[in-house]
Amino acid sequence: MSAPLLPPELLRRLEQFQLLAARRAKSTARGERRSAARGQSVEFADHRNYVAGDDFRYLDWNLYGRLDKFFLKLYEEERELPVRIFLDASESMAFGEPRKFDFARQVAAAVGYVALCGFDRVSVVPFPDNRDEAAVRGALRAVRGRKSTLQYFKNLTALTASGTASFNEAMRRGALEARQTGIAVVLSDFLDPAGYEAGLTALVGRGFQVNAVQILAPDELAPGAYGDLRLIDSETGGVQEVTFGKYRLAAYQQMVQNYCQRLREFSQSRGIHFFMVSSATNLEELLLKQLRQAAMWG
Amino acid sequence: MNFLAPAAFLFAFTLPVVVVFYLLKRKRVARVVASTLLWQKFLAETQASAPFQKLRRNWLLILQLLMLLLAILALARPYFAAKTGHSRLRVLIIDASASMQAVDENPSRFEVARKQALAWVDSLRDEDKMVVLQVAANTEVKQSETSDKSALRRAILACQAVDSPTRLLPALKMAESLIRDHGKESNPEIHLFSDGAVPDLADFGNHTLPLIYHRIGHSANNLGITALDARANPEDAGQRALYVSVGNYSTNQLQTDLELSFDGKLLETRPLTIPAGQSSAQVFVARQTHDGVFTVRSTLTDDLAVDNQASIVSLLPQPVKVLLVTAGNKFLERALRAAPNVSMAVAGDCTDTAAGFDFVVLDGITPSVWPTGNILAIHVGNTNWFAPPTALEAPSIVDWRATHPVLRYVGFDNVQIARSLATKTPTWAVSLVDAPQAPLILAGELGRQRILWIGFDPLDSNWPLRVSFPIFIANAADWLNPASVRSAELLVRAGDPFRYGLTAATNSAQVVLPGGAVEQLTVDPKATELIFGDTFRQGVYRLRVGTNDTQFCVNLLDAAESNILPRDTINLGTYSAVTATQTRRANLELWRWIAAAALLVLLFEWWYYHRRTV
Repeated sequence: MSAPLLPPELLRRLEQFQLLAARRAKSTARGERRSAARGQSVEFADHRNYVAGDDFRYLDWNLYGRLDKFFLKLYEEERELPVRIFLDASESMAFGEPRKFDFARQVAAAVGYVALCGFDRVSVVPFPDNRDEAAVRGALRAVRGRKSTLQYFKNLTALTASGTASFNEAMRRGALEARQTGIAVVLSDFLDPAGYEAGLTALVGRGFQVNAVQILAPDELAPGAYGDLRLIDSETGGVQEVTFGKYRLAAYQQMVQNYCQRLREFSQSRGIHFFMVSSATNLEELLLKQLRQAAMWG
Repeated sequence: MNFLAPAAFLFAFTLPVVVVFYLLKRKRVARVVASTLLWQKFLAETQASAPFQKLRRNWLLILQLLMLLLAILALARPYFAAKTGHSRLRVLIIDASASMQAVDENPSRFEVARKQALAWVDSLRDEDKMVVLQVAANTEVKQSETSDKSALRRAILACQAVDSPTRLLPALKMAESLIRDHGKESNPEIHLFSDGAVPDLADFGNHTLPLIYHRIGHSANNLGITALDARANPEDAGQRALYVSVGNYSTNQLQTDLELSFDGKLLETRPLTIPAGQSSAQVFVARQTHDGVFTVRSTLTDDLAVDNQASIVSLLPQPVKVLLVTAGNKFLERALRAAPNVSMAVAGDCTDTAAGFDFVVLDGITPSVWPTGNILAIHVGNTNWFAPPTALEAPSIVDWRATHPVLRYVGFDNVQIARSLATKTPTWAVSLVDAPQAPLILAGELGRQRILWIGFDPLDSNWPLRVSFPIFIANAADWLNPASVRSAELLVRAGDPFRYGLTAATNSAQVVLPGGAVEQLTVDPKATELIFGDTFRQGVYRLRVGTNDTQFCVNLLDAAESNILPRDTINLGTYSAVTATQTRRANLELWRWIAAAALLVLLFEWWYYHRRTV
């Protein structure tokens, strides 16, 4: 294994965070998240009338003393929060300096680490499918518990970016596959010719609290190649001829800003937290400031 | 605006080629990128995909088309027409005479004429032709009919101003013959670049010559020596008298110092003031101990330097040896003895070639052996000079040629002749005295032998009793004297050939020119005369043939040439004249400016492309 995904110092600081869920957990497995279900925990929830067969241990004897009636104390059931990380592992993510995929894996590792520390269940869904990595991907389907952290990082490191992805299809399938909804973190460059709207809508519609992180390479934000170029799309193989020079850089950057702005507006209109970062961004800056300010965790 | 080379518009067919180049795929650098999505969105705003929409707002293409258009336009050579019409043939006559060396124009009239002529060459259309003539003492075809501009430019640049007077008539006749073969539709033109200081063209008969006169020069500040002669001083035979005529051709009174030097040694300086338009005759008297060169120089700096100096070779007078072959003629004998510097011998017949005598007088006697020297033949009929003469009774004199040196101060009023021989004027002679039927006195040069023929016996007339008779004999003695002939030959007008009689066979000679350059001449050993034609510079020349060393002087001495005032009109014949054209400039060509604009567009295109792709 090469360099660790996240430096230990960062991991130590991430341990302090907890993913913030706007809704109560709906999973069936017990965890540390408040849920709408009533069960056994220390958090008092409500009273109800005693009916025959109830456990006497939960009778409120103080009330019986005052009112001479039996009431049963109800406690909140604490459940786990499913955290689903959609990781774009298509060929296009293998580009950039530093590589977009490396950056995405680091973010996935950080989010997963925070979730695991909070006793939440983490699912990493890389797309597109890659049969060669079936074992690793299977292991990443459901990770639970802090002790799994090391294996989680190892599995993330083993992932590679290749193939052609259909963003919308992957999101839709991921939304359908999820038995419980929770937090969804989408790590992608969002550069799919077919668009991203249907996929994100499917996630939101399934009930996920979606966080979208768009990762672009510095070269995509400000190209450094000038002249008469014949650009070949790494995924589709499509060819685009272009003559590009410095004087058009501003126009290009404006176009990228417009593209990102549209994505941001789309996200905001659907309650999605949206972040746009360059793969050259300082990871701590993103994790400790931007995501925290956006109330993704706290 | 017109075009000199409209055929160049055929290059416009190359314009679509540029467009086709743009439609073809350019060679591009292949590069794999993560996704072309952003680029597609970027290009969607600036570039359409359809072929012809690609060309829309493509500034590089527009710049290249613009550059190509400018290049084609420059090749078509547009020009703004001058006032003259189209002409398929232009004959340029460049005056290279002495007056064109005047410096009232900067740097000189000749250079200005050359510049104007070059401008006309520049404006020549491809299908038009031009001829370049240089005119001075003689006309030289510098470039025959051609459209080749470089050849025309070379010809014009090869023209050189000389110190000789202008003889325009032969040049005009040559130009006339050159344009005669071209029809009116070709609209031939003759362009004369001159200051108009040309002799009278009264003999010119073509009044419809398409002559365009470009006047060069604007002022006339010149003082020139127009005549020079050296003779024995009538009052003191041991001295020489030099007659100098100096003319002021400016509009102001001029002052100068006239310097006389002999073989480079200054003898006398004489201050001189000449009113505007006047001339002054000056006589210098100087003692001469040996043959040499007198030089007269005006110290005033004026516009024309050539005529500020004149030289003349002066030979010491030698006694003239005369053989009088006569049966007895007191009048003639006395008149000959009265002539200056004559030593005479009298004989009844001429039995040899009389080589020891300067000339022979045949008084009514046909000699046994014809002398080889100059001859004064009086009433001699049996000659081989012309057809046998017939007799003429009591001819009356109706006219005589007073301008001939022999008839200087000689009049034939009241001269009656009883009988005379009559013949037709031969080609080698001129008639000096005419009767209605025939010439009575002939003078001419046959070979290098001067012959003066009097058809009547003076004793058959009352002429010996007239004062004109001894003057005539004295003039004749001077004219027939080989020494005076030779000394006259030693004064040459610029541009005229110098003739030199060869006494011994030789095959080479050399001439030292005024500048010091030496010119070697090849001589035919059988030739009896050497003719040297390169006399275009004023000054003293030195001819060396074998051991003989002869000096001769070349001078302008031409009042018409010294009068450098630019003439507005040149008279052609009696009734027509050509006025200086106001069209100072030939067609104004624009191709240089257009080519410069094309170059600028090219530079801009390069910059634009560079900016676009780097």
